[in-house]
Amino acid sequence: MNANSTHLDLEDLIAEVTGQAIGGRAREHLAGCEQCQLEANRWNLVADGVRDLAAEAAQVPQPARPPHIRRHVLAGPWRRATVIVGSVAAALVLLLVAGTAAGLVHVHLSGPGSGSGSETTLTSVSGCPRLEQAHGTLERVNGADVVIKTASGQLVTVTTTATTRLAASGALLGDITDGTAVTVAGTRSDGTLAADFVVVSANPPSLTVPGIVTVTGTVADAGTTGFTVVTSAGTRVPVTTSGATAVTVSHASLSQLQDGGRTMAIGYPGPDGTLSALAVLQPPNWPAGAHVKVSVRNCSSTAINHEIMALAYGG
Amino acid sequence: MNDPHRNAGAAAFADRRDPAWGDAELLRRIGKGDEDAMAAFYREHGRVVFAQVLLVTGERVLAEEIVQDTMLAVWHGAASFRGESSVRSWVIAIARRQTRDRLRGRRLRVVDDAFLADQPGPDPGPEVMALDRAELAEVKGAIQGLASAHREVLGLAFGTGLSLPEVAGVLQIPVGTVKSRLSAARTALNRILNEKGQNL
Repeated sequence: MNANSTHLDLEDLIAEVTGQAIGGRAREHLAGCEQCQLEANRWNLVADGVRDLAAEAAQVPQPARPPHIRRHVLAGPWRRATVIVGSVAAALVLLLVAGTAAGLVHVHLSGPGSGSGSETTLTSVSGCPRLEQAHGTLERVNGADVVIKTASGQLVTVTTTATTRLAASGALLGDITDGTAVTVAGTRSDGTLAADFVVVSANPPSLTVPGIVTVTGTVADAGTTGFTVVTSAGTRVPVTTSGATAVTVSHASLSQLQDGGRTMAIGYPGPDGTLSALAVLQPPNWPAGAHVKVSVRNCSSTAINHEIMALAYGG
Repeated sequence: MNDPHRNAGAAAFADRRDPAWGDAELLRRIGKGDEDAMAAFYREHGRVVFAQVLLVTGERVLAEEIVQDTMLAVWHGAASFRGESSVRSWVIAIARRQTRDRLRGRRLRVVDDAFLADQPGPDPGPEVMALDRAELAEVKGAIQGLASAHREVLGLAFGTGLSLPEVAGVLQIPVGTVKSRLSAARTALNRILNEKGQNL
């Protein structure tokens, strides 16, 4: 922390941007300080420029290329501009409102096959080649580390920081308590909304859901079978939930990540085989017919944050 | 014995660290003339060194030559590594000296630290806002338009994996001066973006 100010000093900001350890106090401050997050974003953009130039520098003839250099062999289905899930049952179109998200994650390779050259845990992201991603299922959370098991059985250890964007989906109804900001999508009957999906977010996505009713507001009267959504206009909408209700927490904690859940991390490969990533996400399993439209323009922080937001809600 | 630096001009590949060979062990083996260890050293550090040198010089051929010279220096000087710094900062410091020697005849622009300490204020001004609006491509172009001392410190801070104290060690300046130089580099970056009239 800066002795002359309440904000992070440059050393902390640089450490955060480069994925090095920062103190607990600085980490806590950064998590809640919009100004410092903006500063981190600015330094991130500068760092991105340096990394991108370095990546371009690396594109020279490589006569001594080692035989076990990693190949990009996975398809990377989560980084498409348009993701189509299943067949039509309820056409769900999410028009996502961008927010800011910043953070760093370090991905270290371990487990079977690491470095074998036959498979990789990281794939490049289309539209922004210097970004890479790892995806699979959540094997375990160990302290600040998240271990992702890829489809090929490789393990990726993801170390999170305070500002790492985490999104979790799954059996999280218990995390919906009074005062929680939510957007609920479901079917209405007799004045009650039967929730198919609940997104927990203070800045909820704008939902356009043909055939499905959506309501945004604050939770009241939370119980085991449902809750009431109080809209900004003061309208109270009773909501019922069930075991089939899918919950996405857009700003989750590590403890909310679901073991076995579909999990991905995206970010930047470091010079020593690490990945300085921006987010760890467990997107929801949208219903058949759901269409999640994600627009990625380029490698700018804004565009990447759009991507992260979109993926958090259903990539 | 073959010169193991022969392929260093293209030392621009990424690879995973061989867990069986730590950096210190690599240097020990290199010191004994182990060419396989030298190749592994290329894989571990070559790309980063090349990118840093290229960022400073802006000339690919020259950067390749400097990396060759650097790796040759590593080959001959591995036994002298005393472990007082990380291997990464050690090799980058060698590359920096090689770069300085190569550019000496060209009068490498020296930037006064008093000028470099021109830090932005605590509140984001128009120049910071320019960075907020900028796209990556513009930022990259602006970085390439910076003075070499600014490019160097940005490259060391963000492209090499070194901590700020390690960057200070490479540059042989105090950590506070590194921070001042970084702030000044960002200010200069914003100025370039503003001068180019980025309105994104």
